[in-house]
Amino acid sequence: MTSNIPVTYQEVFKTDKGVVYQCDATHRLILEFWDTHTQFSARDFTHFRRMVETVDIRQMALSTAAEHDVEILALPRSERCYVLTLCEIVHLRELLSGARLMLELNSMLRECGCTVAE
Amino acid sequence: MKDLARLRTAIKESVELALNQQIQMELTASSKYLAMAGWCDRMGYDYSAGFFYKQSEEERKHGMKLFHYLCDQGATAYSPEIPAVNQEYDSLRSVFEAVLEQEIAVTDSINRIIAICRRENDFATEELLKWYVKEQMEEEYIARRCLDLIDQIPADQVYYLDKKLSSVTYEDNVFE
Repeated sequence: MTSNIPVTYQEVFKTDKGVVYQCDATHRLILEFWDTHTQFSARDFTHFRRMVETVDIRQMALSTAAEHDVEILALPRSERCYVLTLCEIVHLRELLSGARLMLELNSMLRECGCTVAE
Repeated sequence: MKDLARLRTAIKESVELALNQQIQMELTASSKYLAMAGWCDRMGYDYSAGFFYKQSEEERKHGMKLFHYLCDQGATAYSPEIPAVNQEYDSLRSVFEAVLEQEIAVTDSINRIIAICRRENDFATEELLKWYVKEQMEEEYIARRCLDLIDQIPADQVYYLDKKLSSVTYEDNVFE
């Protein structure tokens, strides 16, 4: 998962199931989740995170209908989509929430005139 | 590490979400006023109908002002879903009672967003919202004054009441 990482990629947050990088050269956030690799603009990353956060996992957990077994999330400006089970959504939420926290921390540090060691 | 979100926009996510909710509130208010205008038209309250048609347009402009602000600042503005609104009312009084409740809800919402702006040190958005604070003071005044007139003008003078309600304005804005 983390082999052959371009030198411009900086790790933002990592879990057992995936990792989020930031590339300052292209102004992209890169999501590696299981075997997928997706690049986002900052705006699309936020949009995608909100999509994942608003999935009704309670309904997925309680419903016996087949349509609630998976959630299909269309990626912004892409022909691809994620088809995720309940467990995958929980793992993805953990990853994206952690990345959000680190990005906010980076923002706060910059406002204070500090920078994260590179 | 670059702050990519900050490079894109000065508006924090919490403020962006709150402003998008406010856009929905303003456009829902526009829809409510349009329904009130339609009801007044059906009931023969032509002057009040005119008043509400104008109010409906104003509420839409309020929403669009926020929409353009978000777009201009590099944030994301969403075209909101407008829920179904009440189309029927019991009386002219019940219409204006609904107006006052609506305006109070908008004032409270604007105040909440200003509190978020202060928490996030978003002084530009707070400056924009000051215009809405003044506007809401006027709107609440007009709604209360209309309810006063409904109490003061005898029930058999319907034409006069209708005409008088549509002419209520707030001329002496203390902020201007």
